[in-house]
Amino acid sequence: MSLTTHIEALGSKAAGAGRAGSRLAIIAAKSMSGVFARDSPKGEVARQMYIVGNKSVLFIAITMGFLGMVMVIQSGGQINRVTGDLSQLGPQFLKLFIQEFAPTITALMLATRVGAGIAAEVGSMKVTEQIDALRLSGITPTSYLIAPRLIACLFMGFVLTVIAIVIAFSAGGVSAWGVFGLNPTVFFDSSMVRSYDIAIGSIKTICYSTAIPIISGYCGLEARGGSEGVGTATTSAVIGSSFAVLLLDFIISGIGLTIFGGGV
Amino acid sequence: MLIEFRDIHKAFGSKKILRGLSMGVGKKEVFFIIGTSGVGKSVTIKHLIGLLRIDEGEIHFDGKRIDNLSEKHFYPIRKRIGMVFQHATLFDSMSLRENVALPLRKHQGMRPNQALGKADELLERVHMQDFIHSAPAALSDGMRKRAAIARTLAMEPQIVLFDEPTTGLDPVNARRIDRLIRELSDELGVTSIVVSHDLTSIFSIADRISFIYQGKAYKSGTRQEFECCDDAIVRQFISGDSHGPLETPGF
Repeated sequence: MSLTTHIEALGSKAAGAGRAGSRLAIIAAKSMSGVFARDSPKGEVARQMYIVGNKSVLFIAITMGFLGMVMVIQSGGQINRVTGDLSQLGPQFLKLFIQEFAPTITALMLATRVGAGIAAEVGSMKVTEQIDALRLSGITPTSYLIAPRLIACLFMGFVLTVIAIVIAFSAGGVSAWGVFGLNPTVFFDSSMVRSYDIAIGSIKTICYSTAIPIISGYCGLEARGGSEGVGTATTSAVIGSSFAVLLLDFIISGIGLTIFGGGV
Repeated sequence: MLIEFRDIHKAFGSKKILRGLSMGVGKKEVFFIIGTSGVGKSVTIKHLIGLLRIDEGEIHFDGKRIDNLSEKHFYPIRKRIGMVFQHATLFDSMSLRENVALPLRKHQGMRPNQALGKADELLERVHMQDFIHSAPAALSDGMRKRAAIARTLAMEPQIVLFDEPTTGLDPVNARRIDRLIRELSDELGVTSIVVSHDLTSIFSIADRISFIYQGKAYKSGTRQEFECCDDAIVRQFISGDSHGPLETPGF
């Protein structure tokens, strides 16, 4: 291929990415305004909360329980080899989980389970022309389909993150007591948690819970063809949502460190 | 003419589908658009309601140009032009009457009970009164198609677009759908534009037909004109002969 062809191909890809970015921005804006439009069917938000929350809670509880235990055992072992003072194990663990691990790991799991579900449902509606039928019925698909999922993700994202913190901290405390003989009153100490940690954790949860349904809904709305198109949309939703979570984590943590010095 | 397509061009990426298509549809006509698969029949009718946008050309409806309208300005057009999709496209989470009531509530602002009452009347018109509480998934393809027609009629449209209404139906249900399309024109004065391959439908209810070939309206005329047509390409399509001058995508 000649240099001109390479440049043309690169330009074409850049233009395609620009168009996709603008479509995503439009869908995001319409979905957010759709939250106030109340166009969705009666009870849809509650149904979505059940799908996002109840159906994810066991998955998240098991993952966070094991993660909490493994992290305490690993970090406790390291501390034991260096100083032997485990008094800060629980407080630092809690601080780290509130600010970083609980929102991010919970969001990554939601991106996998909920994001894939949203993309598959919206994508199959797209390829079977149900989205077109909605438009002809005078309904904006973003208000009808994505807005209730956005509300559900925002609400249940918080609930699941709190559950994740409680389970991981509890499992960590039990394993610290079982493996290192650490007194639970020493481990279950929240004195190191600052309002900054809670604020950063909350901001991350809000941003992740907004990004997942919007990106997944966008992937579903962009589905083309038949079942293969739905499969592609589902894969793109999981990859796109997961990537967005990690990128937002980096940006929010970076801003927190730069502006507030990490709350220290 | 009620609807006019003027020199329409449409491409998807590098694939040119419509290449200067021009045709017109008169009031109260049952107008069939025919042609081989992938020739752009469904694409053509989707332009009328803004589900797709043309690359070049003009579309006029009732004397006004509509191809350049924004999504918001297409809303009033969509109240006047309904569409019955190939796959019925009923919403699985709703009963039949709720499906039919939906556009009444959203487009006409009816109260839920009023919309449901009107939906029951419309379902009776398409002989689906015994299934108003049924979920779409519990019904046959033919029943779903009839319910989809009822939903489209809810808006009391001036024009109804049918995308392959008889595809996948048994002959009895297919003829019932044909009869329904003809009744809409004769009794309610609805203009119907039907995309179809079903020759029985075409030659039993069409007022006029347009045969799309190589992105253009290759031949337009009445069904009698098509029956007597001696053009080799049109004859091959009508006879279904696999050998002949008709070029089809992928062959």
